[in-house]
Amino acid sequence: MVDTFKPQSLQEAVDVLSDKGAILFAGGTDLMVQRRRRGGLIPDFDRPVILIGHLKELKEISNSTREIRIGSCCTYTALLSHKAVPEILKTCVSQIASPGIRNRGTIGGNICNASPAGDTLPVLYALDASVILARDNKERVLPIEKFIKGPGTTVLEADELLTRIIIPHSSFNKFFYKKVGTRAYNALSKISFTGLALKKLRAVEDVRIAFGAVSPTVVRSKDIEAQIRGKDIDAIQKMIPEILSHYSKLIDPISDQRSNRRYRKTVSLNLLNSFLKNYML
Amino acid sequence: MEINFILNGKGVKVKTHPLRRLLDVLREDFDLSGVKEGCGEGECGACAVLVDGELALSCITPVGSVEGTSVVTIEGYRETAKYRALEEAFSATGAVQCGFCTPGFIIAAESLLSKTPRPTPNEIREAISGNLCRCTGYSGIVEGIKRASERGEGLW
Amino acid sequence: MKNKISSSVSRIDTPEKTGGKASYIADIKLEGMLHAKTLRSERARARIKAINCPNLPEGYFIIDRQDIPGKNSVKMLIDDQPFFADGIVNYIGEPILLAVGPEKETVNWIIENTEVEYEDILPIFSVDEAKDPAKPPIFQKNNIFAEYEIRKGNPEKAFEGSHRVFEKEYRTGYQEHIYLEPQGVIGTYDDGRVTVYGSMQCPYYVKTALIHGLGWNEDMIRVVQTTTGGAFGGKEDYPSIIAGHAVFAALKTNRPVRLVFDRAEDIQSTTKRHPSIIKIKTALDSKGTIIGMNVDITLDGGAYCGLSPVVLQRAMFVSTGAYNIPNVLVRGKVLATNNVPSGAFRGFGAPQAIFAIEMHLNSLAENLKMDPLDLKKKYLLKKGDPTVTGGKLREDVKMPRMISLLEDISGYRKKKASFHKKNARDLRGIGISLFLHGCAFTGSGERDKIKAKVKLRKEDDGKVSILVSNVDMGQGPQTTLRKIVSKILGIPFSQVLYDNPDTDRVPDSGPTVASRTVMIVGYLLSRAAEKLKTEGKTEVTEEYIQPPYIEWDQENFIGDAYPVYSWGANAVEVSIDPDTYEIKVESVWGVYDVGTPIDEQIVYGQIEGGISQGLGYATIEVMESREGGLMQRSMTDYIIASSVDFPGAEKRLIENYYDYGPFGAKCAGELPFVGVAPALAAAVQNAIGVPIEKLPVTPEYLLEAAEGGN
Repeated sequence: MVDTFKPQSLQEAVDVLSDKGAILFAGGTDLMVQRRRRGGLIPDFDRPVILIGHLKELKEISNSTREIRIGSCCTYTALLSHKAVPEILKTCVSQIASPGIRNRGTIGGNICNASPAGDTLPVLYALDASVILARDNKERVLPIEKFIKGPGTTVLEADELLTRIIIPHSSFNKFFYKKVGTRAYNALSKISFTGLALKKLRAVEDVRIAFGAVSPTVVRSKDIEAQIRGKDIDAIQKMIPEILSHYSKLIDPISDQRSNRRYRKTVSLNLLNSFLKNYML
Repeated sequence: MEINFILNGKGVKVKTHPLRRLLDVLREDFDLSGVKEGCGEGECGACAVLVDGELALSCITPVGSVEGTSVVTIEGYRETAKYRALEEAFSATGAVQCGFCTPGFIIAAESLLSKTPRPTPNEIREAISGNLCRCTGYSGIVEGIKRASERGEGLW
Repeated sequence: MKNKISSSVSRIDTPEKTGGKASYIADIKLEGMLHAKTLRSERARARIKAINCPNLPEGYFIIDRQDIPGKNSVKMLIDDQPFFADGIVNYIGEPILLAVGPEKETVNWIIENTEVEYEDILPIFSVDEAKDPAKPPIFQKNNIFAEYEIRKGNPEKAFEGSHRVFEKEYRTGYQEHIYLEPQGVIGTYDDGRVTVYGSMQCPYYVKTALIHGLGWNEDMIRVVQTTTGGAFGGKEDYPSIIAGHAVFAALKTNRPVRLVFDRAEDIQSTTKRHPSIIKIKTALDSKGTIIGMNVDITLDGGAYCGLSPVVLQRAMFVSTGAYNIPNVLVRGKVLATNNVPSGAFRGFGAPQAIFAIEMHLNSLAENLKMDPLDLKKKYLLKKGDPTVTGGKLREDVKMPRMISLLEDISGYRKKKASFHKKNARDLRGIGISLFLHGCAFTGSGERDKIKAKVKLRKEDDGKVSILVSNVDMGQGPQTTLRKIVSKILGIPFSQVLYDNPDTDRVPDSGPTVASRTVMIVGYLLSRAAEKLKTEGKTEVTEEYIQPPYIEWDQENFIGDAYPVYSWGANAVEVSIDPDTYEIKVESVWGVYDVGTPIDEQIVYGQIEGGISQGLGYATIEVMESREGGLMQRSMTDYIIASSVDFPGAEKRLIENYYDYGPFGAKCAGELPFVGVAPALAAAVQNAIGVPIEKLPVTPEYLLEAAEGGN
């Protein structure tokens, strides 16, 4: 059986990590499922495990004029009860799993798991979030899209730990978040859509669009957003076929036990269409 | 590893692997068989317990992570007046059929009522959305929690 | 007037279940008990060339076909299924052997380190492939587990003389039971006797299977039901297999052996609801009147026969639904495939058939520019009408009253008129289904096959014991049967004892299936109670006597297919997300005739639970087999309804006294499931204007139906 460590501080966690190259265990709501064996047996961890879910330094949320910083081990429940957490992220988090899992599952865990169906990812992409990675007194900051490499893989080094998520403040007045799951609640996503816009009078001054679960990683295109940004809402309406066709090239879903490629692609575009047509108005 | 925590109000020590499922420790080491295994992957809620008053799923909780916390299972909770109010209400509204999921629902109900003593039916439905029942269609359970919240005046 | 027995009492089992005190099979620990795990086939169809087990540590055992003292076949209808694979595997998940020992970790290690060498055989993955002569058959020469035909009137002539023919095909998928308590048993061997404790519906089915598997005298075998955490048909036949496993292991090890499944294993290897393909052809005259009907039913039985022939029979006997259709030909077939065996599941073939006939009539009505309800009312069965098997409907059919009540409470007509395409983004619909369910076993099955016996015994302390083999798996007989007996004896409810059945104590009152417990067993108990009361005996045994009016020819399926029917009507209202095709169930209504409800709350509980399961079957419960392997193998992927998926139902009961049921009760357990899916599908069809011909109605299916097949 593997060694398990329960450090008493972040520093201790970093120290153990640089020593051991271990599996970081935050809430464990995904790890315990991925590594489960039959009932009564200890889950199958092949490397040492460091429990970090209890570390206070990783559970803090701080707000400044520029940004909000969220500790990686903040549970979903903690995010929901903090007033500075962006509404769109709360909307997304409130639809993750069930109350018991939201009490233990963490935002850092959701990010590092890097599942194509990870629910917070499209929202974090859309909000231009970055992550802070720590090792031995050194830190680096990466935009979320640079952090996630592919399904289940990130650029996290063996001796690195995700400590904080930075979300710059931004202002939007149009929101559309839609998770299409296998049932109404407590479900994995077939598709998720995040649409944000700032509309002043008839001009769309800012826009963010992200799709989850329909490609190996989140689909967000700053180029297409730039083409929409600054345009008049009527002009955007005319651009819709063109915008859909751009995204259609980026959305590359799979068929699996929860849905199929055609559905994922068509519905993603339907949701985008709906955002541009109905929610932006 | 030796793990210390409070179990149903009493301090306990258990020498075991910290990654063992809390569910197995409760059922095997402490004979607390009211905590059920329905799915083993956090989907069904039959294994629900309270950790420091918060709803937790013991099948995906390693025992190492509850060190220093207070864990309450149905066996501890059933000694309380709140439990008796819930049991009376579940009986009155037909909330129980096969019963395998029921202790988990009671724990989820406590977790809700401790924060929201007078929940609406929708709040109840959301609070128990991680507990699956295959027999009742949930109506009796939702009504039961509502009834307990109304009749258990002052308990929550 | 409301019948007094119907007033609800507190269920007797609520306190111990709610407080976590009830002992389910996984909660029982016996001295020296060993754990068992099953090695299962990873191939859909193969010859086993060799099995290489690791060297076993001391105290660990392998149990396989060579450890079976009697026959390596599970006693069911035709006994084609072995306890352990006999040189050939026929589905992924088929048991090959057990590893048994004191530590779960080591038992698991043995299983993980046992290698099976397979030689593949050309597999059969679908009913179409099952008909392909190029593939070697799984079962006999033609892969047909059962094939039947029933006819009423002269269907050939009707079709010859028809003005036109309306034809459609319907398909339904698997459904997995997801009883919250997975399957499990404990086997023990003491003093030359074996005992099985377990989660089950039919203690005597298990006992019979053990008699054959052990080749022992029945006196040497005891079966005890433990508190059962849901079953829904899934614990009708399957426990016989694992009871055998546990007992063979107990015999070899001389220790109690526990075999409890975890969820993934349960989903992978236990029975499912039969997938179906049902073709219906309707012959119409020039005025659009139905003059004949052909129904062709094909079921995927999976790798072994199990209960499939009887499931097929029930599907056929209700294939024209709640209607009196003249001139009918029904053909049915259940085929062998290398999929997991299909088996019993609440409704037992009827849900598939009722879905098909209801959707067919809905589409026919649209074709005839009529409201489906008006078309259906025209053909509704009534007292004295001939059934599809040529029996005679003897009961009062209260459907007209039930339908008008349903129309009232659901606002069906008004909604139907208002939902019509106001706005392409406002997709709302309402649908109705009418249905019936034949109570208890088919025809004379109760008399010829089951031969139920019940016993009441006055104990020394004046209490009265109910001695029957029927189990409470959540549906409430612990309460309802006690109510029947206590009411007749005029003693308090608490004075009636009813322990979980133990075959050493109780006579064989038959299996807990087919919604028969209250109507058949309860009625026998009511007669026994009358005798106990009037004849001053301390023990009364009562045996089943067939109601005199039943006429049934089991060879040719002619006559009264069921002693009596329960009836129902559902309405469902939905809205559909125009972007995602997700279905939201807005409201559900149900009106039912179950005779006299023995306990209103328990019957309402069956209704709410049946509706939830039915809506799940109709929408979110997707289970598909790819090359013999199930795509959804966990509760993360196989989705059942949570508390937020569907609303509660508005429900009504219409009383209709039945002379051969206790206090007039008929059947209630399966009925509420049967009509839900077609009502949901009808509502969806109404909302999007595309015919729904497949279950489950997933968003993926709706997208294809609405936007075309590419």
